Amino acid sequence: MKDKLNNALVWLKGKGVDYADARMVRIETESIKVTDDTVDTFSRNVNVGVGVRVICNGAWGFAGVSSLTEADIKKAANKALQTAKASATTVKEKVKLAPTEIYKDIYKSPCEKDPFDVPVHEKIGLLMEISDRLRTDSRIKTAESSADFYKTKKIFCSTEGAEIEQDIIESGAGYTAIAYDGKEVQKRSYPNSHRGDFATRGYEYVEGLKLLENVDRTREEAVQLLTADPCPNTVTDIIICGSQLALQVHESCGHPTELDRVLGTEISLAGGSFMQIDGLDKLKYGSDIVNINADATIPGGLGSFGYDDEGVKAQRAPIIRNGVHVGYLTSRETAPVIGKTSNGTMRADGWNRLPIIRMTNINLEPGEWELEDLIADTKNGIFFDMNKSWSIDDKRLNFQFGVECAWEIKDGKLGRMLKNPLYTGMTPKFWNSCDAICSKKYWHVWGVPNCGKGEPMQTARVAHGTAPARFRQVNVGVSK
Amino acid sequence: MTGQDKLFALFDKVVRASKADETEILYIGNNTGLTRFANSIIHQNVNESNARIVFRTVFGKKIGVASTNSLIFNDLKATLRNAMEIAKYQKENKYFSGLPGPESYPAVNTYYDSTAAYAPKDRARQVKKIFIRANKRKFLTAGALTTGDGEIALFNTKGVRCYQPYTSASVNIIAMSDTSSGYAVGLSRQIEDIDPVALADIAVEKAYIGKKPKPLEAGDYEIILEPAAVAALFEWVNYIGFGSKGFIDKTSFLADKIGQKVMDETVSIFDDGNDQSSIAMPFDFEGVPKKKVFFVEKGIGKGVVFDRTSGNRVGTPSTGHALPAGEQGEGAMPLNLFIEPGNKTRDEMIASVKRGVLVTRFHYINGFIDTPKAVLTGMTRDGTYLIEDGRIKHGVKNLRFTDSMLRAFSNVKGISKDRQLIPSWWDAVGCISAPTFHLGSFKFTGTTEF
Repeated sequence: MKDKLNNALVWLKGKGVDYADARMVRIETESIKVTDDTVDTFSRNVNVGVGVRVICNGAWGFAGVSSLTEADIKKAANKALQTAKASATTVKEKVKLAPTEIYKDIYKSPCEKDPFDVPVHEKIGLLMEISDRLRTDSRIKTAESSADFYKTKKIFCSTEGAEIEQDIIESGAGYTAIAYDGKEVQKRSYPNSHRGDFATRGYEYVEGLKLLENVDRTREEAVQLLTADPCPNTVTDIIICGSQLALQVHESCGHPTELDRVLGTEISLAGGSFMQIDGLDKLKYGSDIVNINADATIPGGLGSFGYDDEGVKAQRAPIIRNGVHVGYLTSRETAPVIGKTSNGTMRADGWNRLPIIRMTNINLEPGEWELEDLIADTKNGIFFDMNKSWSIDDKRLNFQFGVECAWEIKDGKLGRMLKNPLYTGMTPKFWNSCDAICSKKYWHVWGVPNCGKGEPMQTARVAHGTAPARFRQVNVGVSK
Repeated sequence: MTGQDKLFALFDKVVRASKADETEILYIGNNTGLTRFANSIIHQNVNESNARIVFRTVFGKKIGVASTNSLIFNDLKATLRNAMEIAKYQKENKYFSGLPGPESYPAVNTYYDSTAAYAPKDRARQVKKIFIRANKRKFLTAGALTTGDGEIALFNTKGVRCYQPYTSASVNIIAMSDTSSGYAVGLSRQIEDIDPVALADIAVEKAYIGKKPKPLEAGDYEIILEPAAVAALFEWVNYIGFGSKGFIDKTSFLADKIGQKVMDETVSIFDDGNDQSSIAMPFDFEGVPKKKVFFVEKGIGKGVVFDRTSGNRVGTPSTGHALPAGEQGEGAMPLNLFIEPGNKTRDEMIASVKRGVLVTRFHYINGFIDTPKAVLTGMTRDGTYLIEDGRIKHGVKNLRFTDSMLRAFSNVKGISKDRQLIPSWWDAVGCISAPTFHLGSFKFTGTTEF
């Protein structure tokens, strides 16, 4: 395969391109979903092809083809070349790539048990057992359990001489109980909403999720929510659980620090960013205890890999240090704008998509608190648990999150359960109100398997390491 | 384009290797070109040729699904084997009543040579016109121009042979000044229907009148929602309310309200895959012809859509709204949404507002807050204005809304007679045809800095 890719690149070099790379990507997926007593999805998909990226006359062109023949790859190369020439008619400034070390390497993600080798009946059996046990209360209207697995092979070659082969396996699972009593509908999920928790691991990750151990609690909480009091509209201190905080980091720090967004190239869909370049090393994004890093090197993190889709090695890069904005997620094209080289975040969701800047593992570093002590230290407040809804403005300032369940905190103790909880705020004010973060003991890298960005839309699998944290005087409910 | 004769001949040959009681092959092929621009330069110009071939094999009531993107005979056979292997270990789906047999479906024209032939240089030429037009008034632009063709074929061993070639063209444009932005969008199966220069003018004018926006306090306002804003709301209302899954799970606001008043009597919403004034597609992804289905008719809750399996759960026949095999856990979903027009013009509705807000579009809506009440939240974007005494007074900084759509659309003061096709994530096979709405009350619950 490398020869076929390199032959296309040699041909492009002969046509005088400034730069080109070719990526073969083969993604095998398996998706299983059980609803009540029925396996309503068990599907496998194989998607394979080659994408060719070209810079010619200072402009980009890209073409992808779902074929691995040398002739078709060359056709795609030619189409990318012609497209770059068409793009060049509007160029004001020629594309220049930051230098990067050139690698010839092989990377494999850690995997003890290939999920595609686990017998089908074993996977279905687990999800069925979960569903059966969730439905032991008649008020559970629907029980859903699911598992998803991805096996990706990538070969990347460039006109600069890079030759990188990567094999990445990703696994995850989760479930949701939907309770209904004739007038109220509520749901509760485990280990996370939106299809569960994921990692670049094998089936051993699913086995370690303690799925069965948490079924009874999940069912009971779904039912309890039916008669819970509504979350009040108020301003109060809040403690946010790790999985919800992961999405908070995702939306209010991960996306706004993507340098392509900052430079305006995502305006047409996802929007821009309030974290502009003139605020780098100055903007007080959060309180002094807020430290956020982009780290693609964490073993097992869903945003971990060996090399990005430009051949740049995976890195750990600071984004927020002691509350100050100090870094962006960058690419070879964007990094020179801030006088840096790429920190390796360019990924495409397949051979047929152009790599764009994507989050890796964007982690809020842990603090020192025990969760018990943090709750005890909070006189009045609300504990928010597990995401249900999310929304943020197109510069990532005004956000509103809903969670599945909350508990009132009264005099340092968890009290009554609250339904339909929401909190809302403005990003810098919110992060500057963070005064306590729980310790490494509570820190977990939450896999987010469905991050959407780009046109055409691309879905990335990313992650966020978080521990529960406290935020002071936050708007809760639908108050102004 | 592969063509139906070649596809069906190939599938006929492949399916001979099937040992299943019934076998279905769904083919979705596409050639798509997209030219994306920002800061008035093209920064992304991409082409894709791809296909998805989905096998569904049935042994009794056991179903296996596997798919590939390769049309090579041996790859297809391997995928078929994979689907059979999966089915073998499956549990029985008691609601599955077999694959459908052949039914006739209406002939609709969804393919235009001119769109299919549109090349990267053609897209670049049109995009350049947008830049020049906006630059005359000192605005930068961002957006994307997409053109493509594709074909959908459905083959099963009970005799279903459905085939539909299609083309699609769309453009979205955001014009920007230092303090404001404006938006315009166009969608059609025929590229000639889209006038990028006229759309650029709309986006620029919106950005122009929105310059130096003033803050507006959150609160309850009379509102004019333009078609892109209406479509964004109803994309979510559709997702949480009009599909079979939410209806069965009781999370849909229609679950217990069929026959009851849910919105203003002037509001009617339906799905019609055969209406060529929109992005028509006459059959669903299991080969069942699409039926016209009303969700809300004159304000009364009427029903939702079903595929064969979800219909069996509640004893209702399919309405022809199946998603592809492998995605059917999400239930049936409407893809060709229409909101009935009214008898007013946009300007007449603006003129009738004493004090209110005009919204061009919304950003990042989420509808999972309280689905039985259809509560959505989201932000305004790219053109939000204060209306006073019947005239657009000035741009306002963007606002967050959080409101029940059942409440908001129960107080309708007017609906425009014109509708616009607004793209959605499924715009190869459908879209939302939306008018402008004038609502008496809409709850803004937050503000932002721009």
